[in-house]
Amino acid sequence: MTNPESLSPEAIDRLTANTEPWLSCDDCFELVDIVIEAMVVSSTPLSEEFRVHLLRCPACHEEARSLAEIVAVDHGLSPAETIGRIDSALLGASS
Amino acid sequence: MNDTSNSAELTVSTGEPSSAWGEETLPADDDWVSRLSTPGRAYEHAVAQLHELMIRAARRQVSRMREANALGAVRREEIIHSAADEATMAVLSRLASFEGRSAFTTWAYKFGILHAGTEVRRAAWRDREINLDDIPEQHQTVAQSPEGYAEGRDLANAVHQGLREALTPHQRRVAVAVLIDEVPIDVLAERLGINRGALYKTLHDARQRLRAYLSAHDFLLPVAPREDVTT
Repeated sequence: MTNPESLSPEAIDRLTANTEPWLSCDDCFELVDIVIEAMVVSSTPLSEEFRVHLLRCPACHEEARSLAEIVAVDHGLSPAETIGRIDSALLGASS
Repeated sequence: MNDTSNSAELTVSTGEPSSAWGEETLPADDDWVSRLSTPGRAYEHAVAQLHELMIRAARRQVSRMREANALGAVRREEIIHSAADEATMAVLSRLASFEGRSAFTTWAYKFGILHAGTEVRRAAWRDREINLDDIPEQHQTVAQSPEGYAEGRDLANAVHQGLREALTPHQRRVAVAVLIDEVPIDVLAERLGINRGALYKTLHDARQRLRAYLSAHDFLLPVAPREDVTT
């Protein structure tokens, strides 16, 4: 078991994060192509549950960014700019 | 949600070293489903095109992952092709679930990305032991003032107590491994014989309990109780 001195501020943030509104990893996977494509192509904002999930699930977040890059390339857009837009969207509201 | 799903045929440059297709006109979304559903020469060609898309997606994912660097070029290529194989099978098996709400290629890419990401994480941790009772290394306290230091210590103590008192043993082990020791969720899920979603739900429930505990001790605002206590 851990002790208080071993808890970094980052770990405390991860432990105490609010993961509401809830979205499961399975639902995230089902929606990620629709949500990311809409965001990349049409600048559709991320829903709050999707935003919260990507902020708190590093695996889903990493995969969503990869998908955004590849979709951006397919549509002749800049992958770097696309990732920047996603990052801004994720951090745009309080968590 | 968008108007790209049934667009005319899309030209995509696979743009990857292993591509055998180069720049080729890919089928329109309806044609993808039709060709991948009907045995014959068109089917074989469409499966080969799909596999190339999965290689592209897997390669993109692997190239973005820092932990893949330590695996070496040969292992990375193995993972890319293995993930592409599995993703191709996954797409074919779930073809009926494609609803056309995104472009077919976008829908398919996510399978290649998922399989590649999961394989890299597992490969990177393959020889690493995960001690679910582990005590993490000491970290420096980053408070910049005596008051901040005291507040940080108070919160750390409260979180520590909350881990002990508010969580179930399973929630505590999972929270410590993933949120403190930063074990990738796919890796721990595999070791525990469950999937990513089940583990994320355990983390969600653990966080809810911990936040409620801290709120009761005046550290956080109250949160709406919305927890299925299944862990």
